[in-house]
Amino acid sequence: MHPNEVKILNKCLCQMSEAVMAVVKPEMKSYIWLQTADGSVQQVEEEVAVFCPMICREVIQTGMGSSKNYAISLPQRVNPAILGLVLDYCRFHHVPGRSNKECKNFDEKFIRMDTKRLCELTSAADSLQLKPLVDITSRALARIIEGKTPEEIRETFHLPDDLTEEEKLEPLRNITDDPRIRLLNRLYARKRKELKEREKLKNVETVEEQLDDRSVDDLLSFINGGDGDTKVARTNRSKKKNRRRKDQSKVLHDLSSACHVGEVSNGLLASSSTCSKLQDSAVTSFSPNVEFDDGDIDDDIDPAMKEELDREVEDFARRLNSDWPERMQEILSLGQERRLMPICMGKYMSVDQR
Amino acid sequence: MGDSSNQDLISDLPQSIIESILTRLPLRDAVRTSLLSSKWRYRWATLTHLVFDEDCVTLSNDRALFEDKLINFITRALFLHQGPIHKFQLCTSYLQSCPEIDQWILFLSRKDIKELVIELGESEWIRAPSCLFKCKKLIRLELFRCELDPPPTFKGFLCLKNLNLYQVFVASDAIESLISSCPLLESLSLSYSDSLTLNIYAPNLKYLCLEGEFKDICLQNTPLLIVMSVAMYMTEDIAEHMQQSSSCNFIKLLGSVPYLERLIGRIYFTKYLSIGDDRGRYPVTYSHLKIIELYQVSFEDMKEILVVLHLITNSPNLVELQISGSSNTLTAMEATDLDFWDKECPSPCLFDRLKVVKMTEMSGVPHEMEFIKFLLESSPVLEVMSIMPCPSVMDGRLNMLIELVRFRRASARAEIVFIQC
Repeated sequence: MHPNEVKILNKCLCQMSEAVMAVVKPEMKSYIWLQTADGSVQQVEEEVAVFCPMICREVIQTGMGSSKNYAISLPQRVNPAILGLVLDYCRFHHVPGRSNKECKNFDEKFIRMDTKRLCELTSAADSLQLKPLVDITSRALARIIEGKTPEEIRETFHLPDDLTEEEKLEPLRNITDDPRIRLLNRLYARKRKELKEREKLKNVETVEEQLDDRSVDDLLSFINGGDGDTKVARTNRSKKKNRRRKDQSKVLHDLSSACHVGEVSNGLLASSSTCSKLQDSAVTSFSPNVEFDDGDIDDDIDPAMKEELDREVEDFARRLNSDWPERMQEILSLGQERRLMPICMGKYMSVDQR
Repeated sequence: MGDSSNQDLISDLPQSIIESILTRLPLRDAVRTSLLSSKWRYRWATLTHLVFDEDCVTLSNDRALFEDKLINFITRALFLHQGPIHKFQLCTSYLQSCPEIDQWILFLSRKDIKELVIELGESEWIRAPSCLFKCKKLIRLELFRCELDPPPTFKGFLCLKNLNLYQVFVASDAIESLISSCPLLESLSLSYSDSLTLNIYAPNLKYLCLEGEFKDICLQNTPLLIVMSVAMYMTEDIAEHMQQSSSCNFIKLLGSVPYLERLIGRIYFTKYLSIGDDRGRYPVTYSHLKIIELYQVSFEDMKEILVVLHLITNSPNLVELQISGSSNTLTAMEATDLDFWDKECPSPCLFDRLKVVKMTEMSGVPHEMEFIKFLLESSPVLEVMSIMPCPSVMDGRLNMLIELVRFRRASARAEIVFIQC
């Protein structure tokens, strides 16, 4: 080719390539590849993605993200749907020069979503270290929580109601207003707890029940000998509900007769002194004060409960000096309606007598 | 409940987020989250910002009972708290001074407290306990209505940046040594601690706000000051005492603040500055001063006018000027010294950057009008001159307007806005 022709050709080619570049350039945004925990890969404009500090750091430090095979792995808390939301946020905010009002309006609209998604978004924003998004989502969550009762909050966030009534009161009971309400609440809490314990015991294998009976039987048979008492034991076993109560009152009688008989084992000595005390007291029903060595499971709890309750009662009695008799009446009258209340009454009765 | 659609949404968020959420709740709601579930029992107890006010307990008509409840709530909350407490704020007028405060402050001093704000009811001032001065990490301290008496062994709050004392009963030397022993102090606000003589030594101070009756103020070492706001109340005795002293208040106050960007003076500020013998020396040029606001400037006192002139002529980069007058208008319609403006006024004087001027409480006295004329002649880039007459002046307004219309303006863009009220 003639040199001039070559020159002209070169010039044309240059101009052509420039023209081509001019057309192609606006389209040549760089993209980043992101991979979420479920394995799916997305392509995102780089300028939007690097608005997240975590992604920006990955790009700069490790150079990842430039192709599908080398996609940046996002933290586990970011699933594809939430990633979409995060990127929407980034897409708006990464543009400089937005006025405060515009940003506020966008944020207000952006944050309107159901609670579940809001929580997921907060979590994702935190793992991507996108602080402005964490701020507005935390604020939104705080606004949801504010002013609601605990039940409403539990419902909104599906929280398990796994605190006992007692736990709900302490240590906040100090913040509750009326000490008398506290006292009643505590009594109810303990009653419920005792109920639960008794339920548990009912479900315990028969073997243990038999053990209990047998130990009593042993004592009785030792004293009186023979079948009569085993029959007694058997009838007691069948009446499960009031088992404990009847048992103990039965044993009371039997032991008192044992006292008279005079032939007692070591285990009975302590019991006999207790039982005489009990006989003297006005208690007509069972009281856990009785220290029976019959291996009953409840014994571990009762003395502790008793002590605590005694302490608290003394405490409150001191504080509610003049109110105490009226309080007692109220508690007693409430107690009639509840089957197991009288059990506690026994303790208070003994307090009274001190 | 293992069903995923019923899964707990929020309890497994990282602790930092939970804290961020709980901090945005009123403290009462935050404490109540301990009722939600076993995971939430003590989540609130590690909050580092505790803000108490009367909303923490249910309102009650019985004042004494309400106070008791509030005191109990605060004590219990502190007792249950775990970990450091960085901010403690108690602002309520429903609580008066009580002995528990000493214990709370002692407790906080052991918990790395950084920000402490206490504002209680007005009838009884608290007495700051000595354990307050053991809070070594304090960065911000705000006390309202209290008696402050630092022990002699007190070496200062080495981290303190922000000090705000409002109606605090403290001795002059005590407050002076307190300020000078806080090397990082950046912002100081002293309000209504009366009859103080202050020598402020604060090499890092940037923001200063003084309000009340001060016997004497001297900014001994505040080279980095950016904003100064002074509301100076004066009694007759103080004024007399000042007249007798020979030192120049202008120099004492504004002599060494070359980086000042904004100056606000109220009540008797310009009068205070005018006292003292200046001997004509105004060495400082306030090349960063952009905004000047002076209130209650009496245009009948030549000395005060001179102060204003000295200020603005030494501020080549002034952008905004606001002057509020205070004159006994009915008396002084006849003014002396009017020839000052022709003869002595510093000229030629150009305010190259002055864009906005607001004159308020104008009574139309001759010196006021001359001052406005002076400004209009010397401000080539002025955009707005707004004038608001004193509400009590009705008759003089027309005269004011007639004069205003006549004044020459150096700036072709200048708008004169006369605000009727």
